[in-house]
Amino acid sequence: MSFERITNETQKTNALAPVLAGVIRITSDAVDMELLNAFEDLQSDDGSDLIVELIDLYLKDASQRVLAIREAALANDWVLLKQVIHNLKGSSASLGVRQVAQTCKMLEEIECDRSPEGFGELLQQMNSEFARASEALLSERQRRLQ
Amino acid sequence: MRVIVAEDDAVSRKILETLLRKWGHEVTTTRDGEAAWNVLREPGAPSLAILDIMMPGIDGLELCRRLRQSPHSIPPYIILLTANHGVREIVKGIEAGADDYLTKPYDSDELRVRVQVGVRMIELQTNLAERVKQLEVALAHVKRLEGILPICSYCKRIRNDSDHWQNVESYVAGHSQAEFSHGICPACFETTVKPQLESFKISQAPPLEPVN
Repeated sequence: MSFERITNETQKTNALAPVLAGVIRITSDAVDMELLNAFEDLQSDDGSDLIVELIDLYLKDASQRVLAIREAALANDWVLLKQVIHNLKGSSASLGVRQVAQTCKMLEEIECDRSPEGFGELLQQMNSEFARASEALLSERQRRLQ
Repeated sequence: MRVIVAEDDAVSRKILETLLRKWGHEVTTTRDGEAAWNVLREPGAPSLAILDIMMPGIDGLELCRRLRQSPHSIPPYIILLTANHGVREIVKGIEAGADDYLTKPYDSDELRVRVQVGVRMIELQTNLAERVKQLEVALAHVKRLEGILPICSYCKRIRNDSDHWQNVESYVAGHSQAEFSHGICPACFETTVKPQLESFKISQAPPLEPVN
């Protein structure tokens, strides 16, 4: 089942309520700033800002992974899809991008070939969470560079 | 301590590298298992390896197996990083040859103390290997007499490795740390020396006066 078909069918059915229950519970904080700011202790004396560096690395890396997830879903490559989702979960959790990490975890646990509707919905959820997290991270980056 | 981090995720790799450098370690990073394998095969390779399980190409588990099968005087201490919390994943990692594991996201203090355990283990192994080396060198200098020695039943000479018959004294001196001080045992004194002395006395005695 293709990604487009997944998302179309998702809109037609409410059968995925149990799956989405977890998504709805997701809180509003896109990034755990406390965790992110804990990296302050690791700053070096060379004038560079480790947190800015980590934000840049995450945004570059995660953007590529989000695209790869979309492409893998369109190609019905479930193995690759799960692998990239797993990677995105890891980097998101490391930097405190909790909602993306949590959505990735749910995507990992779902049997995508058995309940594609729920999978498509979660993918959409992940995209919007990633957009929110990117905004928060860019804002933090801007604040630090001022 | 030289540490290698094999982690395909750039963010996690940077965090690990920064933490380890802060703790005073010399860090090499690679983004896949193949590159880590190449580094760990070099002479003077890092002693401690922190490997992500899921990596493109050679994954962390396969890398563990390869490292355990390859000859190392001191095998590297391996800490596996896993995002899965399942027991099966951990068992697989330990079976593959990992010494320890950490689940992501990990606490930096937990990582620090686990790395310290690794450093302690490596230091113990290094000291042990050094002691073994010293003992081997010492053993090479210790000459030993062992096995069956062919000895002549009459003259008591021993046949050496060059097929020459050598007297006992020189043979033993050449094949052991023993040194000889020379003396005469009481039995030989009675049977050999005393008759010789008697014979000497007789030969030195003034000739008998003719009896008139």
